[in-house]
Amino acid sequence: MSTQKVEEILARLYSDNDYLELFMKNKNKVLSEYILTTDEIEAMLSIDTSELILATNSYNHKRSK
Amino acid sequence: MGAAVVAEVRFKDRFGLGWRPEYAANILMNIDKIDIIEIIGENFVNDKHLTNSLKTLATQIPISIHCVSLGLASSLPVNIKRIEKMAKLFDVITPVSWSEHFAFVRSKYFEIGHLAAPPRNEDTIKGSVKNINVAKEIIGSLPFLENIATLVSPPCSVLSEAQWINQIVQKSSAGILLDLHNLLANSYNFKFCPIAFLDEINLNMIYMIHLSGGRYIENPIHPEKVHLLDDHLHDIPEEIYNLLTIVAEKCPNDLTVIIERDGCFPSFNHILFQLNKSKLAIQKGRNNAHLKRKYEDKL
Repeated sequence: MSTQKVEEILARLYSDNDYLELFMKNKNKVLSEYILTTDEIEAMLSIDTSELILATNSYNHKRSK
Repeated sequence: MGAAVVAEVRFKDRFGLGWRPEYAANILMNIDKIDIIEIIGENFVNDKHLTNSLKTLATQIPISIHCVSLGLASSLPVNIKRIEKMAKLFDVITPVSWSEHFAFVRSKYFEIGHLAAPPRNEDTIKGSVKNINVAKEIIGSLPFLENIATLVSPPCSVLSEAQWINQIVQKSSAGILLDLHNLLANSYNFKFCPIAFLDEINLNMIYMIHLSGGRYIENPIHPEKVHLLDDHLHDIPEEIYNLLTIVAEKCPNDLTVIIERDGCFPSFNHILFQLNKSKLAIQKGRNNAHLKRKYEDKL
């Protein structure tokens, strides 16, 4: 079930700033570490980067409280 | 023969707020004006003294336990030890209800530390239903599940938020805790109509409502783009009361309405003012429903 892998990637993007930076620089390389379907890769590549940063900033802020 | 009298449906709606230490004294002094208190379960599980004080509070007012860290809405299996730990709190007090979120909070190796929207698809529906059943088995009752605000549209989603929620609710029988500000934030950020969402979601399964406020924030890359952040630091905006009236008009269940405030605390009188405003909004919705039934009966 590769939705589990997608959740794994999302959890890491939301909690690990270095990984997020790596993802922003080279999404394909980061995604190649996981066995995902073509649709899942497509969906992950089309994540709105600005929304991703916004969400991660919000999680960082909440964790720091 | 005269027209049949349409009996007015009497609802036992309840109005309360989230327990915050900043309001503790005021809550106790105004307990006659509050029907219910919602506590965050995680704040009490590790502290024996707090748990004891909760016992005392529970003798004075009905309590609902709100959980934020179980992560039930996921294709990944829920952590059973966490639920077992939470279940101990249910041995100390008997809450009138408990709730969690339509959210995941961790994966196998990474802890997000807050609520995140999972992909809205068949895998997370199946996983969520399994997790909800596990929680029900351990805790002894089904939770109400709350819609969350998200700043990023969850990838690999094939269903709308309302469709996804409806399927989980239908397959698990868990009720919905509808957070109206989360709905407002998502509708603003992802450009859909909150009233259309209310038309789509299964209103027969809504039993609890959360009310709160938020603020508008700039997009970090596109400053011309603005997002609505649900921060629980601001007053409940007028749109929320209007949505509350619509829910009260269409929902057949007794509703428990909770105000959430996590900071920038206003005077307690102001909180009571908002609580009264929410009562009026619900009453308006209930009256509208009654008038509609009367009108339809005459036709």
